Amino acid sequence: MSDWFDDDHETKVDLRLWKKLLRYTLRYRRTSLTFLVVAFCLAMTDLGFPLLTGILIADIEQNGTAVNLPLYGWLFAGLSVSICACIWGFIACAGKVRTHVSHDIRRDAFVQLQQLSFSFYDTKPVGWLMARLTSDCQRLANILAWGVMDFIWGTILMTGITIVMVAYNWRLAVAVLIVVPVLFAVSVFFRKRILRTSRLVRKTNSKITAAYNEGISGVRTTKVFVREAENLHDFDLLADEMRGHSIRNAVLSAVYLPLVLTLASVAIALSLAWGGYQVQVFGLPVGEVVMFMYFAQLFFQPVQDMSAWFAELQMAQASAERVISLVEAVPEVRDSDEVARRLRETGGDGHEDRLDHIQFENVDFRYRTGPPVLEDFNLSVQPGQTIALVGATGGGKSTLVNLLCRFYEPTDGKILIDGVEYRERSLLWLQSNLGIVLQQPHLFSGTISDNIRYGKLDATGEEIEEASKLAGAHEFITDLENGYDTEVGEGGNQLSLGQKQLVSFARAVLKRPRLMVMDEATSSIDTETEKQIQQGLQRVLRGRTSFVIAHRLSTIRAADRILVIDHGRIVEQGTHQELIALGGRYHNLYTEQSMRDIVRIDDLMNGNGKAT
Amino acid sequence: MRYAAAIAAMAVGTIFLLLVPYVLKIALDAIADGTATMWQVLLPAALAIVAFNAVHGFFTYLRGRWAAQASEGIVRRLRHELYAHLERLPCSYHDVADTGDLVQRCSSDVETLRVFLSAQVVEIARVSLFLLIAIPIMFSQSIGMALLSLAAFPVLITFAIIFFRKVRHLFEQVDQAEGRLTTVLQENLTGIRVVRAFARQEFEIEKFSERNADFRNLEYRLFHVMANYWTLSDLIVFAQIGLVLIGGGYFVLQGTLSLGTWMLFFWLLRTIIWPVRHFGRVLAESGKAVVAIGRIREILAIDPESVEPRPDAPVGGDIAVRDLTFAYGDGQPVLDGLTLDIKEGETVALLGPPGSGKSTLVNLLVRLYDYRDGSITIGGRELNSINRSAVRESFGMVLQDPFLYSKTVRDNVMLGRSSAADHEVEETARAADIHENIVEFEHGYDTMVGERGVTLSGGQRQRLAIARALLKDPEFLVLDDSLSAVDTKTEAHILQALASRRGRHTTILIAHRLSSTRLADRIFVLDRGRLVEQGTHHELLESGGPYSRLWKIQGMLEEEIEHDLAQGS
Repeated sequence: MSDWFDDDHETKVDLRLWKKLLRYTLRYRRTSLTFLVVAFCLAMTDLGFPLLTGILIADIEQNGTAVNLPLYGWLFAGLSVSICACIWGFIACAGKVRTHVSHDIRRDAFVQLQQLSFSFYDTKPVGWLMARLTSDCQRLANILAWGVMDFIWGTILMTGITIVMVAYNWRLAVAVLIVVPVLFAVSVFFRKRILRTSRLVRKTNSKITAAYNEGISGVRTTKVFVREAENLHDFDLLADEMRGHSIRNAVLSAVYLPLVLTLASVAIALSLAWGGYQVQVFGLPVGEVVMFMYFAQLFFQPVQDMSAWFAELQMAQASAERVISLVEAVPEVRDSDEVARRLRETGGDGHEDRLDHIQFENVDFRYRTGPPVLEDFNLSVQPGQTIALVGATGGGKSTLVNLLCRFYEPTDGKILIDGVEYRERSLLWLQSNLGIVLQQPHLFSGTISDNIRYGKLDATGEEIEEASKLAGAHEFITDLENGYDTEVGEGGNQLSLGQKQLVSFARAVLKRPRLMVMDEATSSIDTETEKQIQQGLQRVLRGRTSFVIAHRLSTIRAADRILVIDHGRIVEQGTHQELIALGGRYHNLYTEQSMRDIVRIDDLMNGNGKAT
Repeated sequence: MRYAAAIAAMAVGTIFLLLVPYVLKIALDAIADGTATMWQVLLPAALAIVAFNAVHGFFTYLRGRWAAQASEGIVRRLRHELYAHLERLPCSYHDVADTGDLVQRCSSDVETLRVFLSAQVVEIARVSLFLLIAIPIMFSQSIGMALLSLAAFPVLITFAIIFFRKVRHLFEQVDQAEGRLTTVLQENLTGIRVVRAFARQEFEIEKFSERNADFRNLEYRLFHVMANYWTLSDLIVFAQIGLVLIGGGYFVLQGTLSLGTWMLFFWLLRTIIWPVRHFGRVLAESGKAVVAIGRIREILAIDPESVEPRPDAPVGGDIAVRDLTFAYGDGQPVLDGLTLDIKEGETVALLGPPGSGKSTLVNLLVRLYDYRDGSITIGGRELNSINRSAVRESFGMVLQDPFLYSKTVRDNVMLGRSSAADHEVEETARAADIHENIVEFEHGYDTMVGERGVTLSGGQRQRLAIARALLKDPEFLVLDDSLSAVDTKTEAHILQALASRRGRHTTILIAHRLSSTRLADRIFVLDRGRLVEQGTHHELLESGGPYSRLWKIQGMLEEEIEHDLAQGS
């Protein structure tokens, strides 16, 4: 899926970006230095083979049987062992840089993601972020490891070949060297196109995967709407696209490689003809001609490699930008410099460790450029109060809670905790004291007890059980075959929505937070269980400041204060009785809601109602 | 066919490539003899080298093109087959099949096969041709040198095969480690709110770092192992080259070999030995393709839904269910001798606790499953004998958990009837009370649904699904608990829209709230796969059965509310 978001486009190579990335490589100073030595040795041994071959042939030509063949044998063996050692070192160094650099970039990006505000997450789908930390990281690390190394090795080798050739016979050297620029240009031209089509192949392939996925998950809908033929037709278009891209990619390679080979053969042919002529005219040894033909061959490996990396560098520009922008993004909500300084110096944020009285003062809020959600909002909550928020969707209930948890900060106005503006306090302190239960509870893969323990990492088994009992989750958990050790699966998908809500409730209860926030936390729990939870809930919420967003009347009725929120303002507030007596909006909501809320037929017919 | 042409092209190309060293030999011999002149030997030889390479290049191009066309054609057909087959497989199969596994087979396994066909098969053919052509050339020149040149080949190939067998598990481990890393990452990102709410950033970073380091270390180990492999196999290759260089030099000194022939061997060897070094790996990888084919075949071997002849007239009329008993797989019967009648144009409600068989009944009606005991007839015809597509075409169904395609909103609604005009789409969207939401989306009806566009809430998805069923204007309309996620006002609005269409369709409502049952002409109460009660709302209230009990409870609740209200005022 991630490929949907890879809007690759070529841009000019921005060296500043790559310098930043190169710093990741330079952290491994020893490996980098070792590599330089290895690359140099490798290039030199590469050079050694043509030299040895040429000298041997020339020696045989001139000295006949007097040649010390075993010496050449040993020399060759020495070269072979040396080149193999270099290759080993080369792969080991590149491997080290490649794996460590991608690990480091990924770690930095992940740490960064833990700090970034929700306003950042609002604009970036999970798939997009995943692609940055997986494929982009691997790709950049590849360039930083293999690309950089091939570049260095190739440069040394080509310089070496050129120097040796010119020193030996500059006329022949010219014959070989004139082909190189052409070779390089052709290589870059094709490599780019090949890369582009292979990326298209990958992209189309992920679309095909998505199409299968959709075809399988939507098979009932397809059958019911008799869409088989249309779907297959759509799919065939994709498959055709895939075939087209694949063939184009293969054909490009089929043109490119022979072309390079033919160009190289021009260099070989030139050295043969020109060298042969020099043998006739100047008495050049034949060995030297062979040596030059060998050199001509040796040239095109680095040229091909370097041109490939050059093309990749251009294509990866977008990846580099995205990753760097992620690593360098500044969280919108973060500790102020002042708070950070106090945390560093004293370990605390300089305020009393109290969370009792909460006050919203003239709070305005809007999401990015959206319309205002809250306007001039004022609210004062006494210690230990339970506040219920009711009202139509989009009225600002969840926003209020998001501001309270400091997931977002007010665009204007203040939120005070015990008289202190909450931006004056540390973010970690506030969030360590929060307990939040969301409508769409997120569980992590692992066992149920792992998930509850998330609320308090060092909790004992008894504590976990106690919290589950309070949350009304204990009963269903013990009914499961493996009890608390039941694996919940990825995203908790082995459990029903209602069960997930109960587990996430238990998780929050275990944390014993000072401030409890519940956002439609029990919406998918049947009436029967809901009743059980109520008692636990009363105990949990007692003496604890809490905010509850709910549709359930039973939950709302129990609140100390009910706020009816509409268009970012409090339109009514008071206790249940007071608001009913008022006969206003709450009254209407209540009568409308109660008719349908309580009467869930299956609950009634089922008796225990647990199966929902 | 194209494959044969590709191989023929490759053969011709290879011959030309391997002729190059032969040209070199002639030229070098002539140069060494001093008989080479620019015009008679050197220039023609140089031209021949370039020309042979160019011809080889041209045939390589042909080979590449034809091989790609052949292999991509095969894969294209296979993909088509798989997709078509998956759509035709019965729901009973999809119920138990693991979606992830199926998708994996259709994507990665097919991809493995594609790489095998397009790259590995070609590579195997290439190396085989190299050997087939190079070996005769070698032996024709010098038997001793030929044997010397090929000495290391068996070692090289065997070494590669054994090596890749041994490290296969390491590759798998790396894949798994990457999978674990991705999972942690994905869970963290989707659950970022929970992470923040519990201030567990440190814990998460630790968890991620552990997996991240795991993956790094395994991958690094893989690089080490690969370094060992390349180093050792290179050592073998260089030993072989050295053998020819020094051994050939010895024969030249002995006077039994000409300088040109020596260089012929040297050059030829260096042309073919690198692909051969790679060959072992290619062979080892090919094993994967065999496994992949097996896994793909398993899917294709499963029987699809049966296809009965299409009836001449559209499906319609009264529905009669008699003694219907049905169980999923080998499980407990979900329907147990159910008998009921639904008349044409009637609106009925099915009530009952979860597991009472309501959804199963409608699933059987649209032939998502086949019943064996009892009978269902529509318009007097036995359902099992009517073509599935014809049956489904007459139904407009809203499933319990509606599925939307990642297309535009409009496309999703038009699933109901692809010939519908824009105003009809809008009309039904209004009836399903979703129009207002849609026009608020950034691109209105052209907004994409899913990751690339809007994420719809449960209620919005249900309403969109209702719109698409209504657009179909079907003979039978089925709503399977389709209003569970919408609020009271919306529910009332939709029920009203349904009421205004009363009589237009035979309507079956599966409901969980009594509000919907008021719309029904008749109500069926199911329990444990049996019909326990049926009749109109009033009849059932009077009969004193389960339905009237429900109403009483509801009444009590209402009283309680009124009491509340009274107290308040």
